[in-house]
Amino acid sequence: MNWTGAVRTIVVCAILIVLHYTLRPLLAWRASVDFLIVALLLGSVRMRPGSAAVYGFLLGLVSDSLTISGFGAAALGMSLIGFAASWLKAVFFADNLALNGFFLFLAKWAFDVIVLVVGLRTGGAELAMQIFVWSPLSAAVTAVAGVIALSLLKPLMEARST
Amino acid sequence: VASAARLGNKVDAGLLVGCVVLSLVAVALRDQDREPIAAALRRTVVAPLVGLQRGAERWRSAWVSSAQRQLVTDSLALRAVKAQALSAENDQLRKLLGLGSRLQSGFVPAEALHSTSSSEELVTTLTLTAGSTSGIKRYSPVVAPEGVVGTILTADPTMSIAMMYTHPDFRASAMSSDGSAFGIIYPHRAQAGGSDAYMLELHGVPTRSQLKPGTVIYTSGLGTVFPRGITIGSVVQEMKTSEVWTRTYLVRPAVSPSRLGSVLVLIPERVTQGIGNVWGATVNADSATRRIAAAGDSIAKQAAVLEARARLAALDSVKRVTIDSVRRSLGAPTTPLTAADSAAMRAQGVPIPAQSTPAPVVRDTTRVRRVPAAATPVPRRDSTRPDTTRPPRQ
Repeated sequence: MNWTGAVRTIVVCAILIVLHYTLRPLLAWRASVDFLIVALLLGSVRMRPGSAAVYGFLLGLVSDSLTISGFGAAALGMSLIGFAASWLKAVFFADNLALNGFFLFLAKWAFDVIVLVVGLRTGGAELAMQIFVWSPLSAAVTAVAGVIALSLLKPLMEARST
Repeated sequence: VASAARLGNKVDAGLLVGCVVLSLVAVALRDQDREPIAAALRRTVVAPLVGLQRGAERWRSAWVSSAQRQLVTDSLALRAVKAQALSAENDQLRKLLGLGSRLQSGFVPAEALHSTSSSEELVTTLTLTAGSTSGIKRYSPVVAPEGVVGTILTADPTMSIAMMYTHPDFRASAMSSDGSAFGIIYPHRAQAGGSDAYMLELHGVPTRSQLKPGTVIYTSGLGTVFPRGITIGSVVQEMKTSEVWTRTYLVRPAVSPSRLGSVLVLIPERVTQGIGNVWGATVNADSATRRIAAAGDSIAKQAAVLEARARLAALDSVKRVTIDSVRRSLGAPTTPLTAADSAAMRAQGVPIPAQSTPAPVVRDTTRVRRVPAAATPVPRRDSTRPDTTRPPRQ
């Protein structure tokens, strides 16, 4: 990835991070959109797995610093998701929006499961409700929003390859 | 290349392990240890994002509070609309309470539910929330504080259906407020939805009975359904019909169907007993008006009689004066005018002729010797003391 491509990727990821801290509080949905996951996957597929892990770790720390409990859980989850996304990019991330949406869904759900289990935020029936109801809903919303965001930002990302 | 790739993989794995270990260490930290780290991040690197999030949450709270204010405004407007309806309903219920207290017994209060279907343009029936278990039977009169509403068509145990005065089968025996004209009330056959769709017609009024607009029409009690004296409406105008021996009048009903919310149903015993003078305030006022008019008429009649008598008396006086003057010219004795004759002639403006007065009585005063005033002097009383009394000058 050349410098131009890196700058464009950074700009797109920055836009997504800003959206995460502006649009999400405005919407305030129960099953909210996680633009940080979208930014993580978008950046990770353009990095080496180790760099993607560090990138995920940093994003997770940012997310953890603004949460009340479970400090470090998001960092762990994003490190693993970023590493996995970068490692599996050749296999999964084709130029297909629907497939991208599906992997966004999987990534968000896996991230939520890691955060909920490691962070020990809830337990019992509530944990099950979070994992099997709210997390899939949030993952679906994130996948849809991610696909829309990727579609909107596609011209910017394609300019990188030319 | 292979060794470089292996090295790269090792570096990646090492970075991943490092990140995982650091994350687990962060998770394992105690609250008092992790909070300074999080606070340092919030104050430095994450500060712009914190500002963005705070601004977004402010926007969100402003939008929510605006929506809540709008909700409050809407609910207040809704309450204001409801308050008007409640005020009207309260007014009607107060009237109904007044009617109930005047009737005292023999009635069943019921709530009226308008049962107009979409195809029915004119309200002709009402569903009432009281039925035969309350004593309501078929043809029981349904009344409102203003007057007649209709009769019961069907009475189920807990509810009943009333036929309003707009129903094509509605009939009621009616009379004018003074009882001078009787007839039968029919619903007005007008085009549905027109301005006079809810009017009534008073049929069968004898030709000799002419009703003025505004005359109040009551139930006559001649039928078996309605007792005597319930207000039906007021006469608007006479209608032109082909009937020769009877008149037909257009009557405006006293009860407006749109205002009906609660009604009273008179049970059969009450119909038999009669309702007395419950709607009598109107009757009394009407009678009082008629009494005043009648009294005015009698005063006018008395004045006319008095005027005729005065004119007759004046004519008599003139005739008597004429006869006297003729007699005087003939040398015959005349008849003197009485005081009443003079007054009558003065009232009519007839000049009173000069009358022959009797000869004055000549009184002989020579027998009385007049004493000059100076001959009998009166002592001057300057004081009450006798010693100050001066003797009169000679």
